[in-house]
Amino acid sequence: MLPKPSLLIVDDEPNVLLTLKLVLEEDGYQISTAGSFAEAVKLMQTPGQFDAILTDLWMEREDVGLELARSASKLNPRPIVVIFTGYGSTSNARAALGVPVDYFALKPLDVDELKRVLNRLVMTNLTARRWRS
Amino acid sequence: MTGWRGGKFALVVHPELSVLSQYQSLLSKHGFTTVVARDLPTALLAITQHYFDIAIVASQLGEAGDGWPLAGVLHLVFPGSYIGVLVAGADLLTLQSAINHGVQDVFEITQSPQSVVKASVAAAKLAESKKSGEPLQ
Repeated sequence: MLPKPSLLIVDDEPNVLLTLKLVLEEDGYQISTAGSFAEAVKLMQTPGQFDAILTDLWMEREDVGLELARSASKLNPRPIVVIFTGYGSTSNARAALGVPVDYFALKPLDVDELKRVLNRLVMTNLTARRWRS
Repeated sequence: MTGWRGGKFALVVHPELSVLSQYQSLLSKHGFTTVVARDLPTALLAITQHYFDIAIVASQLGEAGDGWPLAGVLHLVFPGSYIGVLVAGADLLTLQSAINHGVQDVFEITQSPQSVVKASVAAAKLAESKKSGEPLQ
């Protein structure tokens, strides 16, 4: 039996963290959570630990989620990165385009859409990795 | 970028023949064999026949379809390739669409084909060098 895909959810709002954790656990993911960029970076130190990272864009600093996405892009294998924000702008979306970010969601989140997209991205990535190895 | 496939291929999808012709000429100067398509069915057929290193797609393909799902398909089929989309205006929702369809860059339709090709080729070379660890040429 294949292990559950692992997700890191990062948000400085405890209620959002808890809700996303419950919803995505129910969908079969193994969930870790972090309440800040710094905490997330510590958890990401082991390569291959997370299949996907879902992060808020604004936490202790504006657009700090993009810094997290940049850190994730240097990992090997690179996890899927999903950014969600209530402060989307052409400036931060254009910056996300260059990071890269796999999915950019605007709040309020459509949870069904998020689950569907996450499943597609994670399964495509895992399948490609297995095929390469 | 050539590898064992023996050549670099580019796909340009745009409803106007004059635009396709300009892109074909410019990309040829950069060593790309360029396949052009005016509509979605022709583009999908081309995807089944070649490996494309670069794809430049208009977001508006007229009555024949929408360029965004095509960009998404290109990203799924050629995950390591460069995809640029030509848009009427790069507002937030357009940029969000670009990210969510795996597009690397968006260009306003007012930009010259020369600048779009220059940026696309440079980005594709950068991505290729990162993958292979080879220095840029």
